[in-house]
Amino acid sequence: MKSTYNSHIKRIVLGLVVFAVLGFVGKIVMTPKSFGKYGPYRADAIDEEANREIRHGTNASCLSCHPNEANMHLTGLHKTISCEFCHGPYADHIKDGKVYGKLPVKTKEEIKVLCLRCHNRAIQARPGEVIKTVIMPEHLEKQKVKVSHTCDQCHQVHAPLKHINRAKEIVGAKEKIDG
Amino acid sequence: MGKPDAGLDKERRAFIKKVLNGTVAGSLLLVIPMPIGAATPEIKEQIPGIRGKKWDMAHKRFAFIVDITLCIGCGSCCVADRLEYNVPAGYYRTWVERYLKDFNDNVYVDSPNGGFDGYQTPRADIDVEVRDTFFVPKLCNMCKEPPCVQVCPVGATFKTPDGFILVDAARCVGCAYCIQACPYSSRYLDPFTRTAEKCTWCYHRVRKGLLPICVNVCPTKARKFGDLNDKNSEVYKLLHEHEVLTVLKKDMGTYPALYYKGLRREVV
Repeated sequence: MKSTYNSHIKRIVLGLVVFAVLGFVGKIVMTPKSFGKYGPYRADAIDEEANREIRHGTNASCLSCHPNEANMHLTGLHKTISCEFCHGPYADHIKDGKVYGKLPVKTKEEIKVLCLRCHNRAIQARPGEVIKTVIMPEHLEKQKVKVSHTCDQCHQVHAPLKHINRAKEIVGAKEKIDG
Repeated sequence: MGKPDAGLDKERRAFIKKVLNGTVAGSLLLVIPMPIGAATPEIKEQIPGIRGKKWDMAHKRFAFIVDITLCIGCGSCCVADRLEYNVPAGYYRTWVERYLKDFNDNVYVDSPNGGFDGYQTPRADIDVEVRDTFFVPKLCNMCKEPPCVQVCPVGATFKTPDGFILVDAARCVGCAYCIQACPYSSRYLDPFTRTAEKCTWCYHRVRKGLLPICVNVCPTKARKFGDLNDKNSEVYKLLHEHEVLTVLKKDMGTYPALYYKGLRREVV
């Protein structure tokens, strides 16, 4: 371009136009789709989050296939406890309506640890009206059983007083523990 | 040989019919776009009035109430939460704190592994006579004025029109401004995805009519969640009755949607 008296203005205007066009195109290209639909964020992210995999079911979903456990669990004092807390999430067991993996069943010492997560009186923060608590070796001594006993030897884990009340019925004991 | 063959034929026919039905149904499922929630018909609805209806973004109001007089610190919520989201060890979307007060009104707080392993033993590191002790579960407060959203430079953390604060993992650059901004420490930087994750009140479950997983597994119903537009929901009733409900750090001006019932003043 031959230098004229207004060539510097032309250069500046041209530069500004190029800058504006580049910026405009860049904005269109680089702004994610659905950005700004509800606010300064990607609205599609809401649906992405809503479609996250559900890994836990509910007790109803477990008990619909396990009628024996349902009979015990729903009649006992442990009916509010989630199956999946002790056994693991539903998604590790069922995939597309079919059994996919085996969930662990807790045994012996593991059971004791699980029981004492809630029933340990040594943790004073547990209100007595909410939960029945015990001090561990003391409870076993009081019930006159070996200190090596695990909780599930007397308490059916799904309905903790089931066996105890049944045993009392058999021996004809009058008092029955309610809870 | 006539009879068994006929039986076999019938079986075959039934089998072919079943297969055909299956294929047709299967391909239909692929063709028809599924509304959210249709994929989980086997789980019964827990929050009424969500399934089968269009999600009205602008007119949803949810509240979360934690009743600390009922919390026994079992840590079911922490376990379920970790398994629902595969949260790496050492990071917590929800956790349970234990508060101890002695007779001089000193407050001692601990939360070993966020309450994930439960509270199996009393505190051994302090030797004081305990006057009062209780558990406080913590999670995202779902503020109406969320500081974490305000500071996010890329629009990765946002407040949805239905009141949830969510994280867009595709946008998050992991700058951790939100972690500093959150007055409730409920955010963490995932060490694997480098995303500033947070509790979402189980948005994916709520959208499908299910309760957040921590509410679902709580054995004493210390955690309550519900729709404030539904006058029969427990949270609506609790919020409209003469209950002592408090929010955490009211003076921060965040207006949380998470309320605590029976909270002591010592809790921060």
